[in-house]
Amino acid sequence: MTVHDVKHAASDSARLEAVGGRLSRVDGPAKITGAARYAVEQQLEGLAHAVLVDSTIAAGKVVSIETQAAKAARGVIAVLTPDTIMKLSVASDWFGNPLAPQRTFCPLARDVTYCGQHIAVVIAETFEQAVSAAALVMADYDQAPALVELGDGTAGEIISIEGMTKEWGNAQAALAEAPVHLSAVYNTQRSAHAAIEPHGLIARWEGDRLTIWEPSQWLDGMARTYAEWFGIPFENVRLVSPYIGGGFGSKALALAHSAVAAAAAKMLGRPVKLMLTRSQNFTSYGGRATTRQTIDLGADKAGRIQSIIHRGVSEVSLEGMWVEAVGSITSIMYDTPNFSSRQDVVRLNTVLPNPKRAPGENPSAFGIECAIDELAHELGLDPLEIRLINYAEQDPHAKKAWSTRQLREAFAVGAEAFGWAKRSPAPRSMRAGHQLIGWGVAAGAYPVQRAHGEAVVKIMFDGSVEVESSSIDMGQGTYTILAQTAAETLGVPVSQVSVKLGDSHFARAGVTGGSRLAGIMTGAVHKAASQALDELIGLALSDPRLPFHGLQANTLAVKDGRIGSPRGDGPELSIAELMSMLGRDRIEAKGDTLPAGTTAEERYKNYTTIAMSIPHTEGDYSRHSWCAHFVEVKVDEDFGTVRVSRVVSALDSGRLYNPKLAESQWKGGIIMGIGEALLEEGIVDRRHGRTVNSNFADYMLPTNADIPDIQTISVGIPDPHSSALGGKGVGELGIVGVAPAIANAVFHATGKRVRDLPITLEKLI
Amino acid sequence: MTSHIQTIIDPPEDGHFRNGVATDGLIPSPTTLSLNLAINGRDHALDVEPRVTLLDALRERLHLTGTKKGCDQGQCGACTVHVDGERVLACLTLAALVDGRTITTIEGLADEDGTLHAVQAAFLEQDAFQCGYCTPGQIMSAVACIREGHAGSDDEIREYMAGNLCRCGAYPNIVAAVRQAAQELR
Amino acid sequence: MRDFSYLRADNIEAARNAAALPGAMLLAGGTTLIDLAKCGVVEPATVIDISHIEGLNAIDVTADRALIGALAKMSHVADHAEVKSLFPAVSEALWQAASAQLRNMATIGGNLMQRTRCPYFRDPANFPACNKREPGSGCSAIGGVTRGHAVLGVSEACIATYPGDLAVALVAFDAEVDLGERRLKVEDFFLAPGATAEQEHDIRPGEVITAIEIPGSAAARRSTYIKVRDRQSYEFAAASAAVGLELEGDGRTVRDIRVALGGVATKPWRARAVEDALKGKALDEATIREASELAMQGAVDHGANHYKIALAPRVIARAILKLGETA
Repeated sequence: MTVHDVKHAASDSARLEAVGGRLSRVDGPAKITGAARYAVEQQLEGLAHAVLVDSTIAAGKVVSIETQAAKAARGVIAVLTPDTIMKLSVASDWFGNPLAPQRTFCPLARDVTYCGQHIAVVIAETFEQAVSAAALVMADYDQAPALVELGDGTAGEIISIEGMTKEWGNAQAALAEAPVHLSAVYNTQRSAHAAIEPHGLIARWEGDRLTIWEPSQWLDGMARTYAEWFGIPFENVRLVSPYIGGGFGSKALALAHSAVAAAAAKMLGRPVKLMLTRSQNFTSYGGRATTRQTIDLGADKAGRIQSIIHRGVSEVSLEGMWVEAVGSITSIMYDTPNFSSRQDVVRLNTVLPNPKRAPGENPSAFGIECAIDELAHELGLDPLEIRLINYAEQDPHAKKAWSTRQLREAFAVGAEAFGWAKRSPAPRSMRAGHQLIGWGVAAGAYPVQRAHGEAVVKIMFDGSVEVESSSIDMGQGTYTILAQTAAETLGVPVSQVSVKLGDSHFARAGVTGGSRLAGIMTGAVHKAASQALDELIGLALSDPRLPFHGLQANTLAVKDGRIGSPRGDGPELSIAELMSMLGRDRIEAKGDTLPAGTTAEERYKNYTTIAMSIPHTEGDYSRHSWCAHFVEVKVDEDFGTVRVSRVVSALDSGRLYNPKLAESQWKGGIIMGIGEALLEEGIVDRRHGRTVNSNFADYMLPTNADIPDIQTISVGIPDPHSSALGGKGVGELGIVGVAPAIANAVFHATGKRVRDLPITLEKLI
Repeated sequence: MTSHIQTIIDPPEDGHFRNGVATDGLIPSPTTLSLNLAINGRDHALDVEPRVTLLDALRERLHLTGTKKGCDQGQCGACTVHVDGERVLACLTLAALVDGRTITTIEGLADEDGTLHAVQAAFLEQDAFQCGYCTPGQIMSAVACIREGHAGSDDEIREYMAGNLCRCGAYPNIVAAVRQAAQELR
Repeated sequence: MRDFSYLRADNIEAARNAAALPGAMLLAGGTTLIDLAKCGVVEPATVIDISHIEGLNAIDVTADRALIGALAKMSHVADHAEVKSLFPAVSEALWQAASAQLRNMATIGGNLMQRTRCPYFRDPANFPACNKREPGSGCSAIGGVTRGHAVLGVSEACIATYPGDLAVALVAFDAEVDLGERRLKVEDFFLAPGATAEQEHDIRPGEVITAIEIPGSAAARRSTYIKVRDRQSYEFAAASAAVGLELEGDGRTVRDIRVALGGVATKPWRARAVEDALKGKALDEATIREASELAMQGAVDHGANHYKIALAPRVIARAILKLGETA
């Protein structure tokens, strides 16, 4: 795949192209002309189309499936059921732990644990034929009562997640002694990733080699899963995902439908395309889990927190495990001498929840950032002031210095830009006509997640540069910042660099999640490019036919694609001329950031599991990105409708590799936060355990009309402890703290404290 | 059996259709239709079942994958194309319905020499997209929004672009891009 | 979507005859028919494409009446200068409906045939019981998720909300629908479920909507449509109100008032009790709010939609207040 070039005025280009420059997306021209071909848009000869049939009950057994009518329908090639689809091996988990090697995995369910579970698949010559035949498949069930809702009488098994317990001091005693108390329960809803590109794939077998075109946040991890399912070598699986139409955490794993398509393709000996319907995108994989958290705060009369006791619970499916860790940032936002946080999960008849943008941190912020606002109100303190009174100068839990924490600056800069000083403190004291106006603030944090990465950089005979990685770009700007990094490191214009991503046959990459990719990949590309440059210069110096022969090693540099003395006072050649004189068609370097002596097994594990992630508190520092959101809402006093009318956010993501793209990601996170605060909720019919709003007309994503101007301000400084080039996380950070900022603003507008998301109109009228 | 679109021209006097469609008054059985779709200035001959939507015709038969399928239910706007110059949703439009009309997709928006439409250029400059999947629909919608005269203010742009969902949250940048392009096209 | 045969009707007579065929359904804009066919709610054997019939999309507006052809697009009516000036509530109801793309597709006649958005109605695979789809099968919504369901005009058979906006304005201003042989008040064209939830419209096999006619009036000229919803745009109403107001020469006494509700009833709902309570009265906020509550006489909630009983009168009151302020 070729990445299109963007032309800029020459005078601007150097500034824009440098790392840290506001270069427009290099993959932009392909995306705005329709030329960008997403994974499932691959055109193959002989493609068959698969459509899934899903369970209509949430719990029980499939007794029988009637397939005759579907099989007889025009164009139908096959109808597969749990009895007839091929059985696979059980793949290992995120960490690479084998789960049940002795068992087999049937990607179509006989035992139903959630509504919408795939029980059959119809494969036909055309999409339309598969859709209509799938409607003819009828199942008989032996239905069992479903466990449907967190915390009510029907809740299932409760499991304590001991590893998430955090304790210091004596929280109970300190709470009892504190003169000021606050106790509240905060609930966050089930919400969907709702990427506009649906999940789906094309699977094609050639012998025992499998090619999968599938949107993916983790090509190597998903390739491992396919290899394990089908018992073939990892190298035999090729995953292709050149562009991803939004992921937000949902596209990191190969899922049951992926297995169905790959199995069907193998059984039929034909490439098979399977796209989940929009409704299935709500029911086939989980979004953010429902959470409930109780916060007890004890403080002195000056507002200094003495104790925090936090108890959180999130929902999980009957099979598998995912914890929405609602205590994840409760422990680091404020300085407290006494603290206790525990986490449970409750098993329900729901699909396995997944990480969604800032999993854990986002609902965690809703608890602690509302609670501190409530405490401020109780004490008559300004919400900003109470945050500064309790400012944590070091990580209160890890007891380590922050690598960088520009949160105080975020408060100051954000407040100034927002005009916070003009806030009238009393609730219901600001209005315009029928609109009650409220101003709220909340902070957020996201840990710096790190791992090792690798990249290949090739200097080609014509002076062009190719960067290859199996990492991906789902809109964060990977293509662009890696082009900037390679160009800057090698001294060539960005227009000479083409970045190739999204093919598992390229240099390996770990998961794109947890805002880790930019930091890892800029480091790996910088290293690979440096190695390639060293080799180029070394060859230039050592070849007796060249004018540079015999010069000192540090006397040559590449600038604007030409090699010569940095002072411009000696011989000079273009890279193409140099390559020609050297007689080389390419110089290729693979750079990685793994420690010396890393074994092949460790390398494989590093890229195909998350087992080798580096803790954010490793060594002497605690590493996080930070933000402060200032929000204005307008609440209609009659209708209870809340509209966000202004947002100013100050964010510390360390050094930004491309501020233009980072700002877009921040805004995207803020907007997703507005959705979760006010609109989005997966609503379940408790009688059936079925999501009833599994579509975009009933599950409310924010529209353009719901979103005001958003001002984002970078307050970050380069953080050498967080990444090679000084950046921290960007993509996840923006959402954290948005919902509490809005809830706090709604309280300020109306005097009503809403502790259950989303804040819909009936909660305010 | 493949047939061309049957147009009922004369009202049947005896309950029986003429034109060989349903002479016995019974419902004609489904056939494959031979369509001729005028897309981006080119005629495309296409044999499809009547139920095939314009969206699936574009993506699966004509390999014009720039028009995206986000919901297939008229709820996201990713499949926005122009029919006779007006923005519509290809997922709720039968291909047969637009036989005889003029269709423009994202692939037909730039000049033949590759010069970008002002809206495309503004989207790039304002970073009005991230993942790019809703983008063709946003751009087709924006071109029409400006042409309709509904880009007079930021609030009007927001309202008249509300039919195109963007999960990456590029909305403020989309408003900026539409505003910029509207000024350039004025 | 089940396969179907496809025919184009070139004129209205051909359309009527084709529409009388068993299993035939008319296709104009497609925003309801194709949507519901994809949901599996309707399974036409034959689709009669009437979108190419010429002469049915005219919009003719005078001070006396607006005559709108059945194939006129929602967007064109919304943007029509005389509709905006003489029937502002109609224009406002239209531009606040759906999205710009859908309004470019959907026709006025098709809009009147729009079906409910009840999630149970729209999901036959998961919820076989629905009296609208299968008379006598029961109502899955009752006892389920009812946040969007109706509080007015409901029955034990059905609580599905009529979702549209335009018809609310049409009902307020006594518009009529032209079915060829018959003309009906739009208010009578829509049927509350009663025991026959499957019958939503008074339309017979072989009948085709050809036009709607809205009588001009001072109340229509001074009218507005207010739509309240969770999202700012591209969403059906939680509650909406079409209101028209004519004042006496004193500028404050009500000579004529029209009030209709959307989003809260099983059909576009004329609130005559509110109108009667305000006719001849001098407008003030307390009087308006008190009278607006009368719209909810007989309202029945099913739990999660209880808020609509409080919300709808406030929407009416806001609309009247807004019109009063523009005196």
